[in-house]
Amino acid sequence: MRHALVLALLFVFSASCLAADGPRVQFDISHIGPRQMEEVTGRNIPRDWGRAWQTLAVAFAQNRPDLLGHYFTGFAQQKLTAGIAAQEKSGVRTRYVDHGHKLEAFFYSPDGGALELHDTADLEIQVLDGNNLVHSERVTLRYIGLMTPAADHWEVRVLESVPSF
Amino acid sequence: MRRVLPAACLTICLMAALALAAQELQLPATVNAGSGFAIATSGSGSATFYLVGPSYTAKRQVQLGQEIQVRPPEVRSAGRYLAILRSGGASRSGSFYVSAAKPASLSFLAHPSRIPVGQRGGVVGVAFLFDNWHNLVRRPEDVEFRLSTKNAPAAAQSVRTRDGAAWILMNSGTKAGNAQFVAALDGIEEARVIQQVASDPCHLQIRAERSPRGILVQTAPVRDCSGNPVSDGTVVTFTANSPAGLSTVDVPVKKDIAQVELKIPGPATISVASGVVMGNEVKVGGQQ
Repeated sequence: MRHALVLALLFVFSASCLAADGPRVQFDISHIGPRQMEEVTGRNIPRDWGRAWQTLAVAFAQNRPDLLGHYFTGFAQQKLTAGIAAQEKSGVRTRYVDHGHKLEAFFYSPDGGALELHDTADLEIQVLDGNNLVHSERVTLRYIGLMTPAADHWEVRVLESVPSF
Repeated sequence: MRRVLPAACLTICLMAALALAAQELQLPATVNAGSGFAIATSGSGSATFYLVGPSYTAKRQVQLGQEIQVRPPEVRSAGRYLAILRSGGASRSGSFYVSAAKPASLSFLAHPSRIPVGQRGGVVGVAFLFDNWHNLVRRPEDVEFRLSTKNAPAAAQSVRTRDGAAWILMNSGTKAGNAQFVAALDGIEEARVIQQVASDPCHLQIRAERSPRGILVQTAPVRDCSGNPVSDGTVVTFTANSPAGLSTVDVPVKKDIAQVELKIPGPATISVASGVVMGNEVKVGGQQ
């Protein structure tokens, strides 16, 4: 009974974390090609990118790889899942405080099946050993992302931080 | 006093910068995925070393004054890594990037799976390059796209990747049948099958003859403009203009031809069409 209550509370907590508004995402499609982006897709991409980042932050904060499947797939999901498994094993956690993204789409495949993006993310990264904060930094990081469409939203298939675009 | 104050400020700033620099770990700026390296340390005693990457986190005890070995399996995923060295409540940290190793696989998206022959720019190919550990290879590489059908010359074109992606639009061939669509790079090949089907009918020809119950109308084998037999089910429309009026019948092609028996006793002029293509016109006399 007690376990069920704890599980229920955990579920409500994680669901409320994901239900809240995602980080701020500015989206630029002025350099996109070869396909132009449809208006609806242009609204959905920043929404889903923000939700993916929100999911990532909660999944890493709570060691919950099961959350990743909502917005990550393929190699991105595999790598992030491995990352959570590794931090769980080591007892070292990474906490992301997301201060927003400048997202730019630059490759949208002619068939509309793949979208490549540049993201400049303003992040606060905290590394905790158990409950002890061992490192904290606020950084601007650059990410390359590859998104593909799922049934009713877009999923992140590749997510890699890079030194420059 | 006016001269001393700026100099003192400058000295303090320089000392602060030097102290900060001393806290930084000496790390390479970039490392190839799956390549180990060593981090030099100074001082003595033990410390805790943390390595935090995109898909790897580790913590271990190290001896100050000795090199910290970062093993190849620890840096397989491309991205930014944090290295933190903590000793007696003080910590030194730094970051480095792991970039993809050489290409080892291609993720190849081909579209559509079925296309009529002779479509300009109708076949879409998109290739993404990955290394052995599924890292996107961002260095420009030349990917060759080839589209070939049996007994027909292959079309090939080389495209340079940008941020790991190369794409192409190719014309479908002139021969119906399964075409091999290949993306290749340095011995890495990914193939997809594109079914090329006949295009719209071309040069429709009919013949008509009186039958006991009316007029039997039959097309010659229906082919597209490249000579490929059109798919079964392609609709051919026969129109008969007789004293009784105008009648139209839609008939699907079956085994290359379309045929119908029109129950018209009197004379008639029969024409044929399929899509936007018109065929010949045939006049048939009335029953004796």
